[in-house]
Amino acid sequence: MRLVGAKIPRVEDRRILTGRGHYIDDVQLPFMLHSSFLRSPLAHGRINSIDVTEARRAPGVVAVYTGEDMKALAGPIKPVIPTGPAPEYFPLVTDKVLFVGDLVAMVVAESRAQAEDACELIEVDYDPLPAVVDYETALDPSVPPIFSDLESNVLVTRHLEGGDVDAAFKEADRVIEVELSQHRVADVPMETRGVVADYDDDSGQLTVHSATQSPQGVRIQLASTLDHPINKLVVLTQDVGGSFGLKINIFREDFCVCVASKQIGRPVKWIEDRNEHMIASGHAREEKILAQVAVSDAGDVLGLKAELTLDQGSYPGLPFGAAIFPSLIDVLLPGPYKVKGYSCDSKVITTNKCVYVAYRGPWAIETWARERLLDIVAHELGLDPAEIRRRNYLEGAEGDQLITGRSVSGITSRETLDRALALIDYEEVRSQQQVARNEGRCVGVGFATFLEAAPGPPEMRLGGGMFAGEQATVKLEADGRVTIITAQSPHGQGHETTLAQVVADEMGVSMDQVQVVYGDTRLTPFSIVGTGGSRAATWATGAVLVNARKVKEKVLAIAGAQLEVSPEDLEISEGIITPKGVPSKAISLAQIARQATLGPASLPPGTDANLESNERFLGEGITGSGWSGGTHACVVEVDLGTGAVKIVRYVVIEDCGRVINPGVVAGQIRGGVAQGIGQVFYERAAYDKEGNFLAGTFMDYLLPTAAEIPTIEIEYVESDPEGEIGFRGVGEGGIIVAPAALTNAIEDALLPFGAKITEMYLPPAKVLELAGIIEE
Amino acid sequence: MKPPLFEYVRVSSVDEALDRLTELGDEAKVLAGGQSLVPLLSLRLANPAYLVDINRVGDLSHIANGPVVRLGALSRHRDVERSGLVAQSHPLLSATVKYIGHIAIRNRGTIGGSVAHADPAAELPTLLVALDGEIEARSSRGVRTLAAAEFFEGFLTTALEPDELLTEVRFPVLAAGTGWSIQEFSRRNGDFGVVTVVVTVAVDSAGRISEARISFGGVASTAVRASSAESALVGQTPSAELWKSAAHEAASSLDPSGDLHGTPQYRRHLAGVLTERALVEAHGRVEEG
Repeated sequence: MRLVGAKIPRVEDRRILTGRGHYIDDVQLPFMLHSSFLRSPLAHGRINSIDVTEARRAPGVVAVYTGEDMKALAGPIKPVIPTGPAPEYFPLVTDKVLFVGDLVAMVVAESRAQAEDACELIEVDYDPLPAVVDYETALDPSVPPIFSDLESNVLVTRHLEGGDVDAAFKEADRVIEVELSQHRVADVPMETRGVVADYDDDSGQLTVHSATQSPQGVRIQLASTLDHPINKLVVLTQDVGGSFGLKINIFREDFCVCVASKQIGRPVKWIEDRNEHMIASGHAREEKILAQVAVSDAGDVLGLKAELTLDQGSYPGLPFGAAIFPSLIDVLLPGPYKVKGYSCDSKVITTNKCVYVAYRGPWAIETWARERLLDIVAHELGLDPAEIRRRNYLEGAEGDQLITGRSVSGITSRETLDRALALIDYEEVRSQQQVARNEGRCVGVGFATFLEAAPGPPEMRLGGGMFAGEQATVKLEADGRVTIITAQSPHGQGHETTLAQVVADEMGVSMDQVQVVYGDTRLTPFSIVGTGGSRAATWATGAVLVNARKVKEKVLAIAGAQLEVSPEDLEISEGIITPKGVPSKAISLAQIARQATLGPASLPPGTDANLESNERFLGEGITGSGWSGGTHACVVEVDLGTGAVKIVRYVVIEDCGRVINPGVVAGQIRGGVAQGIGQVFYERAAYDKEGNFLAGTFMDYLLPTAAEIPTIEIEYVESDPEGEIGFRGVGEGGIIVAPAALTNAIEDALLPFGAKITEMYLPPAKVLELAGIIEE
Repeated sequence: MKPPLFEYVRVSSVDEALDRLTELGDEAKVLAGGQSLVPLLSLRLANPAYLVDINRVGDLSHIANGPVVRLGALSRHRDVERSGLVAQSHPLLSATVKYIGHIAIRNRGTIGGSVAHADPAAELPTLLVALDGEIEARSSRGVRTLAAAEFFEGFLTTALEPDELLTEVRFPVLAAGTGWSIQEFSRRNGDFGVVTVVVTVAVDSAGRISEARISFGGVASTAVRASSAESALVGQTPSAELWKSAAHEAASSLDPSGDLHGTPQYRRHLAGVLTERALVEAHGRVEEG
C-alpha cells in the first residue's frame, strides 16, 4: 500500500481523544512543589516597596522571590539570537512594572492554592506612571521610553524597496491612500503554558518538562540565561495542547521555575491558569499599514508605498522578538502581483501591553492589507475584484519574481482564483446578490489570494539561514522496526502520522512498524524553531526521507550480498526484501536488523552494521515553486437588524504541492480558517486607555466554537504532484487569508451603503456602523 | 484560579439549610449548580467563609403545573427544558430555558441559582419580570413571596436576606389567546444575550390589543419592562407600523451601557430590532392560537 497521499487516520488521535495524552500538568514528581506569580495590576508603575513577610509565613509556603531575589540568581535575559536593540530585563521586575500582568513576585508552596493565597498577602507599593497604550503616544518623541535604557519607544526601523517606486507613481493615473489596521488578538491554545523544573543537586542535572514547540530552543536559552552547563540540562516535551506560535517562546516564568528548583532542591511546577494566560502569556497581530497604491485607470497596479507600524507591547519575545517580523511582512506585502515599484518603511514600537508573540502566520497583515487594498482599488475604479486580480497576477513563469526579488516561478495564484470562483459559482452568486438586494437582503461575495513561503523559493532556503536545513535520525531497530527521531516538536500537526507515512513507504514497511520520537533533547537534533513556520512538510519530511534512503541503501547492500543480487535490483515490501519480480528469493528486514545488531561481524564484507542515519537535509531534491498558496472565496449575508454575518459558503483552493495526508492537511486549513473567522468576528485582546486589560476570561475574549464555523469546502491544486520532495507547508495559509476573504465579502455586501472596511475587527456593532445604521 | 479557603457545609434538608444560614449569615453562600458561583470563586471575585451545598436537599426539584408553573429552586435547566408538562402549559418558559448557556451548563445549572445570581443579561430574570413572576424565599423566620420587580434590586443584587434560601420560582401561565416571543441576540451560540427581549401580546374580540408585555435583559442593571411602549400598544389595532413604532418607543426608553460586546447605541438599536421581531412573532402566535 502506498501511504503517502492517503487519508490515514492520525495515530495520535486515539490517545488524545480518549484523554490519555500526557500534557504538562500530567507530570507528577515526588516532593513536587507548586508556584504562583504575583502580577502587576498596573500598566506602568514604579515599585516603591514590596513586603513579603506575611507571604513567607503563610501555610505551605516554601519560598517567596521578589525581583531583587531573582536578579541575584538569574539574568539579565538576553536572546541567544540577537535581533536588534534589546532592553535589559530580568525574570521578575526589579523597578518598574511594564504591563498589567507583569511579574512582580513568585511564591513556591506545597499546593497551588496555598501559593495563590500567599500571593494575596504580598504588599506592594506602586507609583503609577502614565501608560503608553496606543501608536500615537508611543511615537510621540516627548513621551519617555518605557525602557529607560532605550532611546525611544521606537525599537526598530526598517526600509525596503523594489523596482522604481518614483517612476511607478509618476506613471499612475491615480493614487489611492488607505490606512488598514488589525487588532491585537491572542493565540489561545487549549492548553495554557506550563513548566516543571526538576533539579538534581547530586548530579547537577536540571530536567525541565516544558509545554513547548521547541525543546532545543528552551534548552539553549535556559542554559545561557541561567548560566547552567548545557550538557546537564535536559528538556522533555510530550503532548502539547496547541500553541500556534506562542510556545515557541521561552518565558520569564520558565527561568523563575528553574531557579526555584535549583534553590530549593525539589521539583517545582507552574501551570498557568486561563486568566493569567489571557492577560500575560502573549498577544499578537497589532499592526497597521498606511498604504498608497498607484494605479492606472484601466486597473494596472503600478506602485505601492507602505508604512508599517507594529506594536510589540512591552518585553521582546524570546528567542525571536517582534523586531524580526517586519522583515517577513515587507518582503511579502506586494504578493503575487506585477507591481513596478515598491517601498516599505517599518517601525516596531514598545507600549505598556503584553508581549507580542508569533501567532500562526505572524506576517499575516501583508495578506490582509494587500487583498483588502485590491478590493478597495477595484471599487474605486469600478472594476470587479476578480478582474483586478486577473489583470495583475504574476503568472509563475520561469524567471518571475516578486517585486522584492523572490522567485515565484511555478506559483498557481491565477489557477486557484479561477477554480475558487468556478466552485463558488461566481456569476450565479452575483445574480443572486442582485435578487437579494431587490428583496432588501444584504449578500456579499469575497475572495483573496495568498502565498505562504513554506519552504519558500531556493534563495529563501539556501545559504544556511537559521531556518534552513533540518537533521533527523532514521534507525532500523534490532527487530526490523523503524525509529525516526525528529527535530520537530508536534503540538497538533500529526507528525507521528505523516512522518511515519513517508518513511514506511520508503522503507517498505507498514505504518505500525514505524515509531516517531520527539521531545527529548538527549535524542533530538537541534532546531531553534522545533515545530513552527510550517516547516515540517518540507524540512522534516525531507530529513526523514533522505535518511531513510541512506538506511535502505545500507540494508540493501547487506541483502544484495547475501542474496547474491545487485542491490539496485532489490525491493522491500511489507518488510520483506526480494529481487524485483522474483519473490521466491527473500530475506526480511528483521533478519538483517538482527544480524547487524547481534552479529555484526558476520555481515558481508564491505557492508555497514550501523543501520542508522542522521544526516542534515539541506534541501536537495525540493521541487516546485517552494510556495504554498491558494485562494479562499466566501459568500456572506449580513443581517442589517442585528449586524450578524452569516457565512453562507466558504471554499478553499489550496496548492501545497503533493499532499502527504489529506485529512491532516484539511485539518490544518479548517483550523486556520476557524481562527481567521475568530479574528474578524469574535476575538480581541482589548485594553482600555489606561492600559487595563479587558478580556481576561472567555466571557470577554470570544473564541469561535463549532457552531460559528461553516462547512469549509476544500479542493487542491497539486502542482508538481510527482515531485521528489514536493510537499509544502500548509500550517499558516488558512489563517492569513481568511480575514481578507471575509472582510472583502462583507464590504461587498455593504457596498450599497458606501462601506469601506479599514479595520479588521467586525463585531456586529461595527458592521452596523459601517452600514451607517447606527452611529459610532 | 484556585478558590480562596472556605468551609464546605453539606445540608440534606431545607430546615437544615435554614439553620445553617441563620447561624452563618452573610459569611455563607449557597451552592446549587455552581455555574456562576464556582467561576466567581476561582477568579477570587467571591470570598465566602462557608459554602452551604444544597444539592442533596431532596424536596427542591419539583416541576409543578397549574395556573402558575412552580419550579423548585434545585430544578436543573435541562429538566425544565425537557419537561413535557412545561412544554404544554408554558411554551414560553420552555423556549426561554433553551437559550441558557450550553447543554452542559443546563445539565448542572439550577433555576434557583440563576434567579438568585440575578445577572441582568440572564434569560430567567427577563422572563420573570415580563410575567410578573414570583420568588419564594424561606428562612427560620418564615416564608416570603416576592414579586420579580421587587426581588431584582440591581446588578447581581436581590432582595434575599443572608439567612434566606430561595426555594421556589413561579411563572404565571399565559392566558389563552396570548401570543409570545423571546428574541435573544448573542455574539456566539450559548452566550448571554447582548440584548434579550420577551414579549407577550393579547388581543380582544374586537381585534384590539388588550395587553402587551415587553421585558428586556442586557440593557440595564436588572431586567426592565418597557412600560410606555406597553401602554402605547393597548387598545391599538395590530399593524406593521404599530410594531415598528412600539419597538422604537421601547428602545428609546432604554439607557444601556456599553461593553466589549456592544456600544450603548448598538444595544439600543438592537433592542428596537428585536422588539419589533418579537411583536410580529407574538402576534403571529395569537392568530395561530
